[in-house]
Amino acid sequence: MRTFAALLLKEEKAIFTSPIAYVVLSVFLVIMGYTFTLTLFVSHVPTLVHLFFQIYVLFLLTVPIITMRLVAEERRLRTIEILLTAPVSEPAVVFAKYLASLSLVVLMLVLSGAYAITLAILGQPDWGPIYSGYLGLFLLGAALVAVGLMTSSLVSNQIIAALLSLSLFLLLWIIDHFGWMLPDPFDALVVNLSLLVHFTPFATGSIFLSDAGFFISVALLALFLSVRALARR
Amino acid sequence: MPDLVAVDWLVKRYGPRLAVRGVSFAIEEGEVIGLLGPNGSGKSTILRVLAGYLPPSAGSVRIAGVDVAADSLAARMQVGYVPEDAPLYDSMRVGEFLHFMAAIKGVAPCAARGAVNRAAERLELGPVLGMPIGKLSRGYRQRVAIAQALVNDPPLLILDEPTNALDAYQVIAVRALVRSLAGRRTVLVASHVLTEIERVASRVMILLDGRLLTTDAMREAGQARQLRLRVGGPQPAVLAALRHIPGVVDPAPAGDPESYLVEIAPGRLTAADLARAIVGQGFALSELVEVKPDLERVFLDLMRRASAMQANAA
Repeated sequence: MRTFAALLLKEEKAIFTSPIAYVVLSVFLVIMGYTFTLTLFVSHVPTLVHLFFQIYVLFLLTVPIITMRLVAEERRLRTIEILLTAPVSEPAVVFAKYLASLSLVVLMLVLSGAYAITLAILGQPDWGPIYSGYLGLFLLGAALVAVGLMTSSLVSNQIIAALLSLSLFLLLWIIDHFGWMLPDPFDALVVNLSLLVHFTPFATGSIFLSDAGFFISVALLALFLSVRALARR
Repeated sequence: MPDLVAVDWLVKRYGPRLAVRGVSFAIEEGEVIGLLGPNGSGKSTILRVLAGYLPPSAGSVRIAGVDVAADSLAARMQVGYVPEDAPLYDSMRVGEFLHFMAAIKGVAPCAARGAVNRAAERLELGPVLGMPIGKLSRGYRQRVAIAQALVNDPPLLILDEPTNALDAYQVIAVRALVRSLAGRRTVLVASHVLTEIERVASRVMILLDGRLLTTDAMREAGQARQLRLRVGGPQPAVLAALRHIPGVVDPAPAGDPESYLVEIAPGRLTAADLARAIVGQGFALSELVEVKPDLERVFLDLMRRASAMQANAA
């Protein structure tokens, strides 16, 4: 446990002493602030639905930047050799990197909570969709970070890792458009791989176990593949 | 002394390429072993397998009785590994990095400060403990890399090319450190620099193209006798005559046109016999000197023999 705590602390420091974290946070808050202000003053409705979809898109664009260096950089600089010749297991290394990156995503969500508080001060929002929206965003973030970590484990160039993650995310975003064109039963199979299909119910106030299960399954599969990729050397 | 390291028929493949081809050796506790070989001969691969970074493709590697493939984490507890070129976390401060390494190597929290201080003191890292690793000189980086390997006081220390790109003063310091560890800890040093190995190791293993040519080059150096001759006459005729003398092994030209190096098989031929045989064949012998055996000669001989065997096999 102490070993894991040391690994996690190292990863947290690496993330929060890097300018990337602050650039990502700043861009996120500026765009969110603009969207929130605009939608609030235009619609005069105390809802965060638009904001949730905006965060969804921003996650697809920013998570690859957060995760790209996680393993790829360690491989490029060969520090992975120092790390993995110490008595630490690959799952511990992967999980520490995962939790550290996820903590930045959670921080982004926590900071966006200011908009919910603003709504509460200015009006009487329906809290159900807000809670479900945040739960959906957390699950989405957890799945995206795991996939980003997986691509970073596969290559030693962080730019390639970021582009690979981004391509995967964009594919999983729009895959339902292709799915509808396919014959039965392939259409349902492909449509169910869509991130948007599983996120939309959360954003609009509905929680289905199948949607939560999808994000959790993607995260677990990606973490498993990350461990396998790290063990392949 | 019991064996701390036992390597039995180790094979390592990278895809279709064989990097290590059936290597076997043992290292006793307290030995300082040199692993010598040209670049690309498989030294780093063997060290990485011993350090638990690479799994063996075949064969077994046991460190302090623990199989590195079956129980990699327990085996890694026994090893302090310093990779080539000291890859370290540049953004971390030296003290912070050593504390981190102590924590992941299982040093108890109450003992961590003492362990880090001892390693830092031994490697004279006191002045740079608060500095980011990225701002250190190469010499200090190497010392930090060795300090992290020693922080949990492992019985086996593995150093891969520890003097690469260091200046003369730093090379002397690293050499002195390795010598100071002899007896108290088992050390395995890999290098392609022959003089480095010769100065620090009590036993030298020589590796070529993934094969171990000898597990004790110094002993081989002590067994064979080499003589330098100065013989008048055409070189091909002299070489042919030397080859026909029973007990003469591998006669070869040595520098100037009349000088030759020959190895004589102990017990079969004396220097006086050789002198008589040369003169008896009508050649003028003007010098016969015994050459002190050294690692360089053994290394070159083994390389030459291995190349000849490969050529014959082909």
